[in-house]
Amino acid sequence: MMAWRNLWRNKRRTVITIASVFFAVFFALLMRSLQLGSYDHMFRNVIESYTGYIQIQNEEFKDNSTVDNAFEFTSEIRQILLKDKNVTDLVPRFESFALASSGPLTKGVLVMGIEPEKETLLSKINERLVSYRLSANVIDSLKRLDLPDQITSRLNLFKEESYSSASVLQLDLGITDKEASEVMPVIKEIASFTNGYISQGKQDALVGDRLAKYLKLNIGDTLVMIGQGYHGTTAAGKFRIAGIVRLPTPDIDNKIVYLPVDICQTFYNAPGMLTSVALNIKDDSDKKINRMIASLDKELLPPLRLLGWREMNELLINQMDADNKSGGIMVGILYLVIAFGIFGTVLMMTIERRREFGVLVALGMQKSKMAVIVSFEMFYIGLLGIICGIIIAAPSIIIGQNNPIRFSGEYAKIYESYGMEPVMPFMPISYYFLWQSVIVAAIIGIAIIYPVRKIYKMKLTNSLKA
Amino acid sequence: MIWKTAWKNVWRNKVRSLVVISSVIVGVFAGVFSIALMNGMISQRVDDALNEEISDIQITARDYRTNYDPQLVIRDPEETISKIKLTEGVAGISERIILTGMANTAYKSTGVQIVGIDPEKEKQVLKLYTKLIPGTGDYFNNESKSSPVLIGEDLAKELNIIRYSIDSSTLVRLKARGLPESVMAKLVLLRGKRFTNERQFIKEMKALFAAGESKKYGTVIKKEAWSFRNGARFILTFLDKDNNQVGAAFRITGLYDISNSVFEKSTVFVKNSDLKKLIGLQDNSFHEIVVRISDLDRTESITNTLAVKLSDLEVLSWKKLQPELALMTDMVQQFYLVFGIIILAALAFGIVNTMLMVVLERTKEIGMLTAIGMNKKRIFYMIMLESVFLSLTGGVAGMIISFIVIRITSNTGINLSRYAEGFGAMGYSALIYPRITLGFFGIVTILIVITGVLSSFYPAVKALKLNPVEAIKSE
Amino acid sequence: MRNSFFILKIICVMSITISDASAQLISATEIVKRADEKFNGEKSSISLISMTIIRPAWQRTLEFKNWSLGYNYALTLITAPAKDIGQTFLKRGTEMWSWNPVINRLIKLPPSMMSQGWMGSDYTNDDLLRESSVVNDYNHEIIGEDIIDNRLCFKIKMNAKEEAAVVWGSQTRWIDKKDFLVLRTELYDQDGLLVRTETGSEIKTMDGREIPTRIELVPKDEPGNKTLLIIKQIRFNVQINENFFSQQNMKNVR
Repeated sequence: MMAWRNLWRNKRRTVITIASVFFAVFFALLMRSLQLGSYDHMFRNVIESYTGYIQIQNEEFKDNSTVDNAFEFTSEIRQILLKDKNVTDLVPRFESFALASSGPLTKGVLVMGIEPEKETLLSKINERLVSYRLSANVIDSLKRLDLPDQITSRLNLFKEESYSSASVLQLDLGITDKEASEVMPVIKEIASFTNGYISQGKQDALVGDRLAKYLKLNIGDTLVMIGQGYHGTTAAGKFRIAGIVRLPTPDIDNKIVYLPVDICQTFYNAPGMLTSVALNIKDDSDKKINRMIASLDKELLPPLRLLGWREMNELLINQMDADNKSGGIMVGILYLVIAFGIFGTVLMMTIERRREFGVLVALGMQKSKMAVIVSFEMFYIGLLGIICGIIIAAPSIIIGQNNPIRFSGEYAKIYESYGMEPVMPFMPISYYFLWQSVIVAAIIGIAIIYPVRKIYKMKLTNSLKA
Repeated sequence: MIWKTAWKNVWRNKVRSLVVISSVIVGVFAGVFSIALMNGMISQRVDDALNEEISDIQITARDYRTNYDPQLVIRDPEETISKIKLTEGVAGISERIILTGMANTAYKSTGVQIVGIDPEKEKQVLKLYTKLIPGTGDYFNNESKSSPVLIGEDLAKELNIIRYSIDSSTLVRLKARGLPESVMAKLVLLRGKRFTNERQFIKEMKALFAAGESKKYGTVIKKEAWSFRNGARFILTFLDKDNNQVGAAFRITGLYDISNSVFEKSTVFVKNSDLKKLIGLQDNSFHEIVVRISDLDRTESITNTLAVKLSDLEVLSWKKLQPELALMTDMVQQFYLVFGIIILAALAFGIVNTMLMVVLERTKEIGMLTAIGMNKKRIFYMIMLESVFLSLTGGVAGMIISFIVIRITSNTGINLSRYAEGFGAMGYSALIYPRITLGFFGIVTILIVITGVLSSFYPAVKALKLNPVEAIKSE
Repeated sequence: MRNSFFILKIICVMSITISDASAQLISATEIVKRADEKFNGEKSSISLISMTIIRPAWQRTLEFKNWSLGYNYALTLITAPAKDIGQTFLKRGTEMWSWNPVINRLIKLPPSMMSQGWMGSDYTNDDLLRESSVVNDYNHEIIGEDIIDNRLCFKIKMNAKEEAAVVWGSQTRWIDKKDFLVLRTELYDQDGLLVRTETGSEIKTMDGREIPTRIELVPKDEPGNKTLLIIKQIRFNVQINENFFSQQNMKNVR
């Protein structure tokens, strides 16, 4: 009504006020999207590289990860799990410890029995296979090429290093991106490493690069392992090394052995048993996961139970949560800034219209009616501002999703070698849009208090003088 | 003349000026504080690792790190140490003997890394001595018959050295903390029971309490029930110089608690002299020399200098020892840069908006001045001057406020640990100490002030272009 | 005259007392030493032993033949069950090797690998390598006597000496007065909490000696866990050479 018309009486003032709300909403949405997106991205990287979103385990296994806490993976259990429509695949695992031996050398190792194809859905182990190795021969051949000096001088520093990714190889040799297009293809060809993989039923193993080096073993050699099997039996076995992987974490790389799960079960005298099954799911929202756990838990008998990713990654989650809280402080600061923007504008507007208010009241308008009108004006301004903000922010975020902020520099490459994309992604449009709008609306609500109070406290004579 | 008028104008309309000044103050504060926060978070991560685990530079014999072979020692340590001492930038040096062995108690055995140190020298390179749980011992200062050892609290838990018990005094303390009667009544049932490990204790607690109670009071109860007998002993077994297994009793003279639990579980510190006696080492050789430098920003250069001087040894900086640390630092810095830009952008727009409003509000006034015959250029200067004054005042005030706040919080820290709840999430220290260099401080302030000034440019020009008559008429 | 009579009376009383109390004048340490030497004092032994590991969810019995020489040398050959036949373990000083016929390999076992019990039992690394001495590493004190299995026993409290490299804080041993057999041992941690109980029973005569042939190890903290050792046959002071305890012999021994 009158409020609406009032707005357009002084276009400039109105537009400026709407603008302050618009900017507030726009920046809040942008920042929140980036924050949530990055947080989500970090989580996913960690979860998807190892534990997955949901696993079933023997309830004792988490605290005491010995072979005796494996469980029998029957076809009934398989059916129960596959019945849930959210489950796209099952990734079985058998994990335990053993002693690996080669000549006089023995070393404690982590043994992971995996289903070679299914595992790639989860930990992307196939991407970790060593593709390049700077053996002595390779270095000699490379030295004979006409490479720039600073590259050649670095070759010796990385003797016998193995690489699963070309970008880290490039980084180590100090090759700039410009040089890369000419130089890398040749280097890759000369340094290329013939690798293999394991498959069900074959007495093969994949070992970590550092472990292989320590035990002085290469592809085709025999790996001997003994350990404690199920119910105290002795586990003993010989395996042919079919492939070598290079994991980014040295502490794991120097003790990891992958076996096909059936071979692993035989090794530990635990046929048909597993230590965990990870579920590959479509919808990984917290709500869906909790629902799945609740319903599946009912059907599965103890000692089996389902664990969500939060429970499996507790320590990491705590660290990330703490990190996120500081992000929360940053958003808080943003709100402080935009709140001030809105308050300032409203304040100015109120002061500017003091005379107008005075005149209207003098003409007989009730203070309460005017307060209502002004509130409505603010309401419209807020609404328009928020709508504009959303209208501009939404497509920006959608564009941003396809072009996330990329990190550059050498650390970006190292990040990549961990299997994580060095980007800052935007969170797709979802509930947070609503939340941000609500917060901005609340800020406006608080802002309205000032003009309303001023109206009530107004002394006619003063305002007419203004 | 204009200066005086401009200045007077500023204070004529107090409210208007205050609004602009506050915007600038908020802007400076927001910008400076977010950067300080970001720095604080990053530094804390790095500092913790350097102060507690690895220090700045580690020097070992070549190839030692491949398998930690105890035979690969640094042959002539005196010469090496003197060379290091003479290097500029070195702030502390400590030599160590490192052995892999087992820690054994009546309940369990577990593999550990035994680090023999010179306790006083070690203080120069690691701040672990400040991380001792109060009441568990006095570092290496007590004389006793058995050899002293410093172990992590997590290791003590692992070996069942830490006990959990609810006795009368525990109950009294818990009551004083305000636990409700219903909880206390249940706790009494556990009185007198001693639990040798955390897991059993938690299991019994969870069986006794409802889920909500566990979550709320679990942490507090566990803390009060925690008990450690000072001077508890355990046995360390390792190989001597002839590859024979040696075992000796060690008395715990302190439990350290840091955020890296893997390190805490696996690293124990003993005196170099004790270790040497036990393994029969006559000469003065060491496995590792740890160096602290005065300025982290010069890590690369100092490391390279040392590497050249000590050409037959391997010299690694923390960046190489824990590349994840450097990685994380870099990533987080870039993250926060993006956020910082957004905040500054929001700020800039806010200030522009406010300025627009302010200047446009004076349209009438400006119109009048023009009508009286004041030179348009002068009016422009006057308005700009006012903006400068306002922004500067806001800037200075903002700087002072931010300085004070950052000073305070950098001493007390911002405590995020109240977000860690429940049984599981204990002990992660989420205390952030915001810090900022003078350089940054200056840059941010200047940026904001410039924003303030520039943002009044457009509206001032706009206002001037108006027809004086129109201007006076306007409302 | 009165004096000499008096002295004579005293001498008589004393001699009676002496002959009666000859057993009581023996020190606690000496008692423990004698008991210890029953098994470990012999120069060598060959034995046939069955070990049953009992857990809440399962149970397993192993049988093996054991050769030992002094404290430092031991060779163990697994004779049952079928899956484990032929495995041998060699101990020389504090080093241990394992031979597995299935994979045909000799592997040196690092001490860190043995943080779990041997072959899944409750015998720990510490027990097997037996680096500590019950005699030298403890202070002994007779604190009473009890009757176990119809045998009168000394009850001896053993407190670990300050610098001794023993994981136990103290032990209580019940040692039979007649034959110095250890019939029961309670092992305590540094805080005096009971960790493990060992009992010896079914005393039989083997190779001219009385020994408990059934030994039970019960850890306190794990209900339902037990390791049971039954000595089926043992011969002492057999002629074995140090060379017997070699890596080559691990593959050949029967």
